Amino acid sequence: MDFKLSEREELLRKTVREFAEREITPRMDEMEETGEFPVDLLKKMGEMGILGVITPPEYGGVGLGNLARVIILEELGRICPAIPMALQVHHMATHALSAFANEEQKKKYLPPLAKGETMGVVAVTDPSGGSDVAGMKTSAKLEGDKYILSGRKCFITNAHASDIWVVIARTGEGGKGLSAFIVEKSFQGAKLGRKENKVGLRGAITGELVFQNCEVPQTNLLGHEGDGMNIAIRNIVETGRPGMASVALGILNAVLEQAAKFANERILYGKPISNLQMIQSHLADIYADLEISRLLVYRVGWMRDQNIRCDAESALAKQFSCEAAARSARKAIEIHGSYGIMREYPVQRLLRDALVTIPAGGTAEVAKLVMARQALSMLK
Amino acid sequence: MRIIVCLKPVPDPKHWKEMSLHPTLKVLVREGIPNVINPLDRNALEEALRIKERQGGEVIILSMAPLFCLSILREALAMGGDRAILLSDKAFAGSDTLATSYILSEAVRKIGDFDLILCGNQTIDGWTGHVGPQLSQFLGIEGISLVRMIEEFHFEEDAKGRAKAARAIVRRNIEYGYVRIEAELPLLLSVVKEINTPRYATFAGILEAEKKEIQILSASDLKIDPSHVGLTGSPTKMADLFMPEVKRRREIIQEKPEVASRLIIEKIHQRGLI
Amino acid sequence: MKGEVWVYAECIDRAFHEVSLEILSKGREIADKIGGSLSAVLIGRGLPDLAKELVDFGADQVHLLEPPDSNFYLDRQMVEVLAEFVKEHDPDIFLLAATSVGTELAPKLAAKLKTGLSAHCIDLDINEKGHLLQVVPAFEGGVLATIVCPDQRPQMATISPGVMRVRKRESRNGKILRREVPLKGEPRIKVLDTLREEPMDTPLEKAEVVIAGGWGLGGKEYWHMLEELATLLRGAVGATRPPVDEGWAREYQMVGQSGKTVRPKLYMGFGISGMMHHMVGIQDSDFIIAVNSDPGADIFKMCDFGVLGDLKKVLPCLIQEIRKKVKRVEV
Repeated sequence: MDFKLSEREELLRKTVREFAEREITPRMDEMEETGEFPVDLLKKMGEMGILGVITPPEYGGVGLGNLARVIILEELGRICPAIPMALQVHHMATHALSAFANEEQKKKYLPPLAKGETMGVVAVTDPSGGSDVAGMKTSAKLEGDKYILSGRKCFITNAHASDIWVVIARTGEGGKGLSAFIVEKSFQGAKLGRKENKVGLRGAITGELVFQNCEVPQTNLLGHEGDGMNIAIRNIVETGRPGMASVALGILNAVLEQAAKFANERILYGKPISNLQMIQSHLADIYADLEISRLLVYRVGWMRDQNIRCDAESALAKQFSCEAAARSARKAIEIHGSYGIMREYPVQRLLRDALVTIPAGGTAEVAKLVMARQALSMLK
Repeated sequence: MRIIVCLKPVPDPKHWKEMSLHPTLKVLVREGIPNVINPLDRNALEEALRIKERQGGEVIILSMAPLFCLSILREALAMGGDRAILLSDKAFAGSDTLATSYILSEAVRKIGDFDLILCGNQTIDGWTGHVGPQLSQFLGIEGISLVRMIEEFHFEEDAKGRAKAARAIVRRNIEYGYVRIEAELPLLLSVVKEINTPRYATFAGILEAEKKEIQILSASDLKIDPSHVGLTGSPTKMADLFMPEVKRRREIIQEKPEVASRLIIEKIHQRGLI
Repeated sequence: MKGEVWVYAECIDRAFHEVSLEILSKGREIADKIGGSLSAVLIGRGLPDLAKELVDFGADQVHLLEPPDSNFYLDRQMVEVLAEFVKEHDPDIFLLAATSVGTELAPKLAAKLKTGLSAHCIDLDINEKGHLLQVVPAFEGGVLATIVCPDQRPQMATISPGVMRVRKRESRNGKILRREVPLKGEPRIKVLDTLREEPMDTPLEKAEVVIAGGWGLGGKEYWHMLEELATLLRGAVGATRPPVDEGWAREYQMVGQSGKTVRPKLYMGFGISGMMHHMVGIQDSDFIIAVNSDPGADIFKMCDFGVLGDLKKVLPCLIQEIRKKVKRVEV
């Protein structure tokens, strides 16, 4: 078992780190204030290859694999977690297409997404509840050579920054009656709804998609009718959960760096507080959370690249690392004392960012159901 | 155009605080400190890549460094360099700027014809700015430092009727402005930060770089006179090395404004800022 | 020749670069210490009367090299001419200033002469063996090295501006030796034109000089003076939180834990008490000057040079003095 990163992975990390420090850092205050995604950065990231990191080269991507994707998202998250939040959902869209689209659909929709000409979206969550996928109400009725979509999708990341949407809608009864569609914003009846005002990960747009008798050509059905549930689950397990876990990893890096920096600078009783054992205990806990999360998330990236099924490992990585990020951010705030709860100091933002990662991409409760299933299966 | 870019790996400034001084050997302990491409060398590489994009040609990366710096050269290739040459030999260790320039000049001779050599004006560790000018002397070509812009190249037809770059017009920083200079090629230019903003490597570039050639040359591959390299070949020697303690001097005065002002100005002047 | 110290002098628009006088003065000190002589080397046309000034600042001789054209670049040919000249006289030590001219000429000359050269010296001394001890900064001043060139001659060094003290000018006797420098063929480097520039605004994090103000400035009037001081010293303006809250300064100018971290060569704090969350943003500054009227202000414990006084009197006075000085240098 080799725990070292390859030379390629080290160079990828170094390149993205430099980019994040130089290009993203100056935009953070503006993102926090406005909640908007910096579109000019999208172009630069597209040129670098960030948007097409898991898309095969023949469709305009770079095809670097899932472990590389984790590392890249982690480095971006270390500086500004909202950015990899938006990117990871974009990757979910590219993954849905790479895995389930036919040749024509791939040729049409992957290149603009891989190059960053537009962001992608995967819309599963109905107002009726994201955890209850089978209970969704958004429907798609076949009329001639078109599907007519009706309903709304909420809490959709990148909604207002995207032209290409992968939408799950009901074509039949129950869980086996869901289908996936590629919807362009320009289609008749497709509309943008409200924009949410999140407490954290501001800069990743979260909003509503509205379908009022939206006309979707039959050729935009992904796979077959009834494939929707499988597509949604594969998508979340293989791309969504590792993506969110990577965002949490980024947060954990930032949390540890800021906590350690403050502990070294803050003088109490004539010495830096990093000399005090209780502060050291907090730092040790944060360090443990970071290292454990990193091992869990990197393992999922590796398993995906080996094509090994990793439903439980993916759920674990996501649930653990997001919880760890929130737990550690809180400890970091306490290390900062009263400075920690002032808006001027970045550490409070990290807690708010971490809180948003917990329900995003699937609640912790659903993740635990997957983990419990795996635990029970070990009895056999 | 064939452009040679001289590159030096230097300790990453973000980690300088971790370096320490060996108490008896009087050397800097650099183990475990990651290296980066010297920032101004990145500007030099960027300029070379831009020239290649406009005029066509080849960009060759040249570096004298220990073997573990191969990954630094790989990074330069990922940015767009065509091939790289690493000069690595125990005999080179301890070379001062004169010996280093000599070694680099022998490598350039081995490469053969070239139009332009670009380097960063100075490195962030040594800060001498010597290697560019000294390399130009060893090669018998003109060298211009503090270059902030290459305005244009003038081409002439060579014996075979092909366009060859004959002259360059560049801008050089001086104390209160700049001069515009016309110089004959082949030419060496040491560039400053203002010249451009270096590009980031792209992921596609990183993949391509894995297929590009990095040639490793030792002293025996070059026509090196061993008495001109290493510690023995370096006219300058280090007599002492120390890390000054940042202890604030705490010189407090209470004087009339005129006297205080004059004393303040003296302090500013001593720092070379006025 | 042992004991012979040479200095390369530069002049612009018929006045000597101040740093030339600085290194000349240091050269004199070294020559005196070893009981030797000091010669200045000056290249240019129409400079004999100017050369006399070098004698008054300490030179025993001035070698005036006169090329055919006053508009020349120190290209390979000129370096060769100078190198031949140096070999002819074989000085022990050759000092140049770390100017735009010196930092290029010195390494080329050292390569031609196959001798040792150190750069941007901040201190020079000479030991009993006649070795020039050259103290140079590395790693942005975090490390200092003492360089020697025990065998090759001349021992060469470039010296940073502002480091050496200019000695008093006095009427002295000295020889001015003129020599025509013939040049063969067309120069390979031509200077087309020279353009002056106004210095641009530097961002705080990159500024070499940071002038910061706090609550003690009292109002917009003194804030504008602070800005003028920054412009005069080609520095950037920094602030603590109160000036930002009052509207004298902008948010992006705030320096400190929740603002920017600066590492300038020089930091000056006016009316700043020195509380921790500001000081952590400036603690890596090379030199800290503080002006404050409160003797108990924390900043006095963390500065290099502190003026206990009324900044409302010191600041205008300082600006006036600096205006005078800057005018002189810009010729």
